[in-house]
Amino acid sequence: MAQTAATAPLDPLEPRDLVAPHHDDKSLNETLLDHVWRKPGKGWFMLFGLTLSALGLLVVGVTYTLARGIGVWGNNQPVGWAFDIINFVWWVGIGHAGTLISAILLLFQQKWRTSINRFAEAMTLFAVMCAGLFPLLHTGRPWFAFWLFPYPSTLGAWPQFRSPLVWDVFAISTYLTVSALFWFVGLIPDLAALRDSSKTKLQRTIYGLFALGWRGSGRHWHNYKIAYLLLAGLSTPLVVSVHTIVSFDFAVSLLPGWHATIFPPYFVAGAVFSGFAMVITLIVPARKYLGLRDVITDRHLENMNKVILATGLIVSYGYMMEHFVAWYSQNQYEMWTFYVNRATGPYAGVYWLMIACNVITPNIFWFKKCRTSIPIMWVASIAVNIGMWCERFIIIVTSLSQDFLPSSWGIYTPTWVDWCIYIGTLGLFGTLFLLFLKFVPAVAISEVKELQLELKHARHNSHGAH
Amino acid sequence: MEATVLDSWVLAEFETPDVLVDATRQMREKGFQGMDTYSPYPLHGGSEALGLPPSKVPFIALCGGLTGLTTALAMQTWMNTYDYPLNIGGRPLLSLPAWVPITFELSVLFAAFGIFFGLLGLSKLPQPYHPVFESDAFRTASTHGYWLSVPHATGQDASAVIDQLKALGATQVTVVTGEKE
Repeated sequence: MAQTAATAPLDPLEPRDLVAPHHDDKSLNETLLDHVWRKPGKGWFMLFGLTLSALGLLVVGVTYTLARGIGVWGNNQPVGWAFDIINFVWWVGIGHAGTLISAILLLFQQKWRTSINRFAEAMTLFAVMCAGLFPLLHTGRPWFAFWLFPYPSTLGAWPQFRSPLVWDVFAISTYLTVSALFWFVGLIPDLAALRDSSKTKLQRTIYGLFALGWRGSGRHWHNYKIAYLLLAGLSTPLVVSVHTIVSFDFAVSLLPGWHATIFPPYFVAGAVFSGFAMVITLIVPARKYLGLRDVITDRHLENMNKVILATGLIVSYGYMMEHFVAWYSQNQYEMWTFYVNRATGPYAGVYWLMIACNVITPNIFWFKKCRTSIPIMWVASIAVNIGMWCERFIIIVTSLSQDFLPSSWGIYTPTWVDWCIYIGTLGLFGTLFLLFLKFVPAVAISEVKELQLELKHARHNSHGAH
Repeated sequence: MEATVLDSWVLAEFETPDVLVDATRQMREKGFQGMDTYSPYPLHGGSEALGLPPSKVPFIALCGGLTGLTTALAMQTWMNTYDYPLNIGGRPLLSLPAWVPITFELSVLFAAFGIFFGLLGLSKLPQPYHPVFESDAFRTASTHGYWLSVPHATGQDASAVIDQLKALGATQVTVVTGEKE
């Protein structure tokens, strides 16, 4: 880049190609709203059919579970927790990238977040919904799930607040609520834009209802700006706390492979890692299909790959530390878990798949060629998602199946119901996501316009300085 | 002080956000009150041009957070220490470290509610009807238009206001009347 010293003081990190410069407010509107007004194509319907069928599996799995009890799942003694908690942690982790992109990058004034935050926040919401299903079903009698909340019951009993599982209830429900509020607050101006550019009375009424009568008033923006920033500020520690609390479910126990102080940061990094990978997996096809290349540029994808590389290294460090502490403690149970059972035991295949996907794969992003190649990053992001799922599996199943007493060891195999529910949540996620792409602008329009103006000013100033 | 809400507005559209902010500032300096700008995204310097006091949202958020904090601490202490004590391996009943996660979560939750409902309350939303929606041209305000509204008393001649707005660069001016808020 032929950037001279005159532009340098602005911000050396400020990227210049965040929005294609030929756009003005009007054409941005047209580009970004187009996919909402356009009739969905064949591809959309085919995908929708696919995700709906997967959602059907969820209905089958859940109905069967409710009718017969959770005995139809593969978990039993000694592996009392399996697919449900694996998938729960996996989904919550995926959700985290959304909040991270929206909140932390907003606070750090990373302008490149603007084009992808709506997308990522939607992902958060849907992922947390999927996550919530698992502990709910695991209770066995989900219709009594309200017992987990402190309400004045005739039983005269209160929840046990010293239990990490009750912490989870509060963490997840708070996370879902705050993410939903954050997402909705961000959406209000765009809903108003949809209302005002709608073609039919029905559209105008429906979007009008959700837009709450927003009219872009300066007095409203005045409160809105600070409210949005504060919500971001709140979401940032929230994201860290949620996965920390999820990791407490394991870390406060005494089981070899779980009882580790590295768990909270290592879980948070893993969550960001898998979340960013999921964003790449979804955004690559979506930006092509929705024609959003002007606002979701290759630069965005490259930045996300850098985050994947960084968090992947933190995760690898987490693995190293687990192994090191097991060796350093010279505790035979810990040593067994890490050096014998995980690497060579009955689930060794999953373990090595995890290492391949989580430790080796992200390192390809050291190379600019890989960071900027769409096919490579897409495949790598899917590998990371698989790897993170394997990680949850390894943590939970290997530690439970072979702990202290060889006479009580056992092997876990998931049943068809487990698979139905897992694939079903993928279907639920996909269905919600496709509906989101159809009805709501996938990119935060008002924020992109604001950014566009800022970039114009910056460009203008830098020219003026010559 | 807010000017009394009148039931007639002059709406003027401007070419760019910068012209709008400039015009707003000049109109306010001329003594017009109760004006409002409308734009698809926050205007830089818009709040200053309107002369708005600092937002109350942060204060409401703080109150929400503190409410959550005290609620959570009081709830856990009372429920697990006095009303329903459970002796688990002789561990202390009043165990503040164990209260930390839920206290944090509830503080965040209540603060978020404070922010959200504070925003709606201060902005008087939801408000499905507002007289400015009477103008069809105004529909650009949420997409690519930059508008200024100047309230004036019903029955009074608005042409003086219109002329001044045009002099400041308004591209089109309309007058809307509506019900009292």
